[in-house]
Amino acid sequence: MTNSIKRLTLAASALALMAGSAQAADINVGSVAGVTGPIAELVAPIVAGRNLAGEHVNAQGGLLDGDTYNLVLSDSQCDPKAGVDAGTKVVNVEQVVAIIGASCSGATNGMVQSVTIPAGVVALSDSATAPSITELEDNDLVFRVAPSDAYQGLAIAQLAIDQGYKKLAMTYSNDDYNAGIATVFEQAFQDLGGEITANQAHEPNKASYRSEISTLAGGDAEGLAIFAYYGGSGITIIRNSLENGLFDKFMAADGMFDASVIEQIGADTLRGNIFITQSASDYADDSYKAFAEAFEATGNDPVAPYAAHGYDASFLLALAIEKAGAADRGAISAALREVAGPSGTVIRPGEWEKAKAAIAAGEDINYEGASGNVDFDEAGDVGGIYSVNTVGDDGSWATNLIQ
Amino acid sequence: MEQMYGIGLYAVSLLTFGGIYAVMALGLNVQWGFTGMFNAGIAGFFAIGAYTSAMLTTAFSERHLGGLDLPIVIGMIAAMIAAGIIAWGVAKICIRLRSDYLAIATLGIAEILRLILKNETWATNGPRGVSLVPKPFETWPEPWNQLAFMALVLVIVFGLYILLERARKAPWGRVMAASRENEPATRAAGKNVDRLRIEAFVLGAMFMGLGGALMAHYLKFIDPNAADPLIATFLIWVMLIVGGSANNKGAILGAILIWTIWSATELLTSRLPDEFAIRTAYVRVFLIGLLLQIVLQRFPNGILPEKREKALAAERERHSQT
Repeated sequence: MTNSIKRLTLAASALALMAGSAQAADINVGSVAGVTGPIAELVAPIVAGRNLAGEHVNAQGGLLDGDTYNLVLSDSQCDPKAGVDAGTKVVNVEQVVAIIGASCSGATNGMVQSVTIPAGVVALSDSATAPSITELEDNDLVFRVAPSDAYQGLAIAQLAIDQGYKKLAMTYSNDDYNAGIATVFEQAFQDLGGEITANQAHEPNKASYRSEISTLAGGDAEGLAIFAYYGGSGITIIRNSLENGLFDKFMAADGMFDASVIEQIGADTLRGNIFITQSASDYADDSYKAFAEAFEATGNDPVAPYAAHGYDASFLLALAIEKAGAADRGAISAALREVAGPSGTVIRPGEWEKAKAAIAAGEDINYEGASGNVDFDEAGDVGGIYSVNTVGDDGSWATNLIQ
Repeated sequence: MEQMYGIGLYAVSLLTFGGIYAVMALGLNVQWGFTGMFNAGIAGFFAIGAYTSAMLTTAFSERHLGGLDLPIVIGMIAAMIAAGIIAWGVAKICIRLRSDYLAIATLGIAEILRLILKNETWATNGPRGVSLVPKPFETWPEPWNQLAFMALVLVIVFGLYILLERARKAPWGRVMAASRENEPATRAAGKNVDRLRIEAFVLGAMFMGLGGALMAHYLKFIDPNAADPLIATFLIWVMLIVGGSANNKGAILGAILIWTIWSATELLTSRLPDEFAIRTAYVRVFLIGLLLQIVLQRFPNGILPEKREKALAAERERHSQT
């Protein structure tokens, strides 16, 4: 029995490896994402966004001389070890030209420092927002289309002050993303003159948070700022607060943004009592509309957090490869900066043919993405546009851009 | 040509990860294989070792304590010492516990350690982890930096293997096996079984701390997720059981084999069309459990079973010749 299993495994692996290297007209780009792990449900639409860009590219002429833009998915599990392993696989075995990813800041930190920077491969993340990534010595190989937490924390704090809140309690889920944004928020809110009456971390996936919320309700806070993922702890916290009459006004960042929050708590209870910021696109913008139409046609929700960023990251790398003129790892970094802007013929999501023609004619192009104008600064970061989401009259989220 | 070079580098990474896990599996072998102590808290010692080394060797940062910029060798030694001290404390308290109770106690301790590391943000930067950890040979060009690090790990594995083989054949190893097989008889023979158990526990934990330090330097980043029980405890147990408990070669073989299967199965699943690719990511986790069942059916004692030195037979030979 062992012998036949051995033979079967060998045969399967040989076939798989051969199948990969046999298609010479494929240009591979790594798509590293936290497919399993703590944010699996958030990652699925992001990966769908990345794939949609790939479909657009391939449907409108493909890369370079008609080569297929092939996204190779690899699971980083939102963990640095798995991130390094996934990065190693796509860089070495799949021989990718560049990488989109990873999803979590921890996995990205590990992957870029241990694999992609030494190997000289560009990594463009669509959802890693930790400020620590800005400080990496990266030979200009690490980019992000997702704005750093440093901006969103500031936006929420400003919003809270504008809404008239002077005293707030806050709680955050104890993971790298939420802890990061909570720290920025606390500092910003205090700098703007507000007061944080209580600040406590909580562990996600607990059945009840009554004890944490009781501790937080001790001061005389006007509302509760929640930095958590809706599925992990956010909805439970809101429910426990309302049940016990401890808080009825809430604010949160994009980890909480989902229709299920309204479904489970109730539109009438929440209307006027909650606002959630999100890393957003200008929904009136033509770029976003083009993306939204195409994305909805695939059965996905375009306002899913970072889905638009996933599309932009994927499309940008395709543009960079086209601009570089060859599937050459070393040329991607410079080409990426050139196609992202800020000057040149404007290219929007879905306009691959137009972009190909412009590049062939030697023109400068400027990609204006579904998630924003994606112009990189020296560190490879982008600025942030945020939207504030409140419960509308029809019981779904009403979104307004923060100016 | 490029493809072969790439596959070569991937093999290097498999051996590096496999080697680091082998160090931890060897540590577990001292505790479980030699002495029969069920340590379910590997992740805790791994995390202590990783954080100690990371914090001592990074440059100054206001995000976490330490940042003393010490040489990496000092970091690794300090990691072993820190893990050893914690293990000594744990062992003093728990040493009289038997199998399942020891497992529960050590599991609890590992979780306590992980949560302390996660929540003491002033010391460890909490869930955002310690970044920019220096890596040996990182200034060398590719592929030499990866090869050199792999060589370092393999040299350490080899060194520990020699050490443990000598220990196993020596009286120390034999009395450990005796206390595992028949504790009342060993006590009756006058051996201080408790002290021996503590020694084994501390030694095993020191190796796990070293493994943690190596991992922190390899990834250049460490966060509390690294001490997640699935990856850091369960996987190492599977490695040791599949490879063969009480056999040092088995520990190394199991580590490299299981890690290769864990990692390489993804190469196969990622070639499936997109609708399946996301679901099959979960299948890989199931695969490891299934593999464990299959191997244990065929090799109940692991692939390489325990080797017992024929000490008694050798004694008889000597007596019969006089």
